[in-house]
Amino acid sequence: MKKVLPPLIPFVVITLVLEWMVRSGVVAGYLVPAPSAVLRALFDSRDELAAAMAKTSSAALIGFALSTLTGIAIAVLLSSSRAVQRAFYPYAVFFQTVPIIAIAPLLVIWFGYGMKTVIASAFIVSIFPVIANTLTGLLSTDPALRDLFRLYGASPAVTLVKLRFPAALPQILTGLRVASGLAVIGAIVGEFIGGQGLGSVVDVARTQQRVDKVFAAVLLASVLGLALFGLINLISALTLRRWHASEATME
Amino acid sequence: MMHRRSFLSVCAAALAACSKPAKIRLALNWKPDPQFGGFYAAPYDKHGSDVEILPGGAGTPTVQMIGAGSAEFGIVSADELVVARSRGNDVVALFAVFQNCPQGIMAHASRHLDSIGDVLKEGTLAIQRGLPYARILEKKYGFDHVKVVPSPGGDISAFLRDEKFAQQCFVMSEPLQARHAGVDVKVFPVADIGYNPYTTVLATSGAQLKSNPDRAQAMVATVREGWRTYLDDPKPTNSHMHDLNPSMDAAAFAEVAEAQKSYIETGILGSMTADRWTTLIAQLAELGDIPQGIPAQDCFRTL
Amino acid sequence: MDLSIDAGEFLAVLGPSGCGKSTLLRMIARLSAIDAGRIVTEPEQFETAFVFQDAHLLPWRTVLDNAALPLELMGVGREDRHARARAKLTQVGLADAEARYPAQLSGGMRMRVSLARALVTEPRLLLMDEPFAALDEITRFNLEVQLRDLWQRRGMTVIFVTHSISEAAFLANRAVVLARRGGKIRLDRHIDLPPQRTNDLRSDSRLGYEMKLLMSAMEEE
Repeated sequence: MKKVLPPLIPFVVITLVLEWMVRSGVVAGYLVPAPSAVLRALFDSRDELAAAMAKTSSAALIGFALSTLTGIAIAVLLSSSRAVQRAFYPYAVFFQTVPIIAIAPLLVIWFGYGMKTVIASAFIVSIFPVIANTLTGLLSTDPALRDLFRLYGASPAVTLVKLRFPAALPQILTGLRVASGLAVIGAIVGEFIGGQGLGSVVDVARTQQRVDKVFAAVLLASVLGLALFGLINLISALTLRRWHASEATME
Repeated sequence: MMHRRSFLSVCAAALAACSKPAKIRLALNWKPDPQFGGFYAAPYDKHGSDVEILPGGAGTPTVQMIGAGSAEFGIVSADELVVARSRGNDVVALFAVFQNCPQGIMAHASRHLDSIGDVLKEGTLAIQRGLPYARILEKKYGFDHVKVVPSPGGDISAFLRDEKFAQQCFVMSEPLQARHAGVDVKVFPVADIGYNPYTTVLATSGAQLKSNPDRAQAMVATVREGWRTYLDDPKPTNSHMHDLNPSMDAAAFAEVAEAQKSYIETGILGSMTADRWTTLIAQLAELGDIPQGIPAQDCFRTL
Repeated sequence: MDLSIDAGEFLAVLGPSGCGKSTLLRMIARLSAIDAGRIVTEPEQFETAFVFQDAHLLPWRTVLDNAALPLELMGVGREDRHARARAKLTQVGLADAEARYPAQLSGGMRMRVSLARALVTEPRLLLMDEPFAALDEITRFNLEVQLRDLWQRRGMTVIFVTHSISEAAFLANRAVVLARRGGKIRLDRHIDLPPQRTNDLRSDSRLGYEMKLLMSAMEEE
């Protein structure tokens, strides 16, 4: 209760204030929907929204899973040598800077209209934080511990698995936290172009001037982002609980 | 007596000096192209107006901008204006550029299709699903056999690559582009299924009309002049718009400007009738886009 | 420099910062490259262990798994290495703590785990680089006594780098003082103190005498 209540209070207050503002005419209902209108839209279109949410969720999850695995793999490769890093890291930065809106039409050319494009979009938007954070984590290994491993004749592979990777875990999880939200955004953008899921609901509702439905879909997208974020937090708590300051409780 | 008169005359002089032209923003719902030619050609300065034209793009929310007051005037389509009114947004139409709706569906001529219904029998259709005519098509013919995808917004590359790909278009725009790229197309105007809303309509808010009736009147007169000028000689304005929107080449500007004339010049430029609005309102009510009929008179003003 | 060390010695290496004492240790451990000269050992190869200033434990492993790490890296099986690690932990007095995590230990306890880890491979040479410098005085005193005791019982060679004159004098049976730069040896002295060293020795005047000699060698510049 202690954790859930504090963030709930501002949410409830803002919702009530907004409801009043729209009902009393301070804010036009066609510009910002009353919370009650959003709720009604959620209920009225529940089947459509549920189906859309399922599609967006799976695309975001798959895209996120792919960017996690690929991002970590790329970071491991980059961390293996300074030369490799210098040669290829700038290309990794490309994933961060490329405007997804601009390349989404290209994605459609390569993957067609549908799930593959949405997953690709989620992947592209979310992979860079995984690479950057994992790389930082892998490069920040305690040099004394590396010496220790060297002293006892551990091969680079063993050092990677038993030392560098576990040591990098807190940093990797930070990267995953950021990437999880981005995967949802990437999926929605992909859906604008590729045409399905919550992104499509937003696009169509917007054309119909149904701001209530737009907000309902956006709300669900936020819930999805929060759920993914919460999942990473859970994993972080479980794996880091006993040894990392970030998850330590007072003993 | 003497004091009052001189006081009044001083006030009048002061007021005259104070009435500098207030900044007027005209928001477009697409990039500068021939459909807005008359607005760019209009002699605003001559009528003492300081008008700033704000170019738009995909999804520019001109109806909402008018309602929220972030633009004094905007370009909308008649159907979105009706929907906006039904949601409590007091937008009013003043001048309709396209007397007949120039929207349509284009398909590869090699498919030898006869009617719009045939387009929906197979392949892919790129269309904005939220648009009323999309839903009229769905209601009438069903989308069960065609794959519906979002409209690529003026980009015809997907269309060119795939023979079974059809997409929504402006009758005088994308088809010309396709022909230039070597693909022969067949165009099915939306008006053929009986849906013909005014398009590229100059609109303002009811509040603006009430507080500034002279300004709206001046605007309409100026715009009408601009369209006359543009229809007679589009070249200088096309050149200016091409600078603003280089994505369309000069030759295309000229071609489209010529092709669109028949949709615009059918009588008095920009005029609207209550009948057309009534028909549109009934169609939207039947679709379920608006809860019930709204008075046609409220939708437009003839200034 | 020209330095000869016998097996079983407890050698303290003193010197001002930057004189190269840590580098010397790393070169002996073959962790750092040698630019000039040679290091010759008899026999050629043997078990060497290194203890750093910070305990440098793996925070995601238990005390037991930390102590067993060298054996794990050498391929020793789980049962075997756990048993051997347990024995060493008992020797340093941490038998009860084997399931705890480093985050739950005090600085002194962590250093003892590090020590157990160093001893788990039964090294013939133990290299220590200012291992107790970061600990509080009481803990340091007790660990010094414990270390000396372990050395006596096991008969290994210890090379102990330190900043502290009192620590060098207390722990070692031989001390060298290095010059500020150039690697020259200013003083090479056999520490004249009884082989049994307890905390009582700390107030003994003989300790003070050794310290004075070391100090003047340090100050000589």
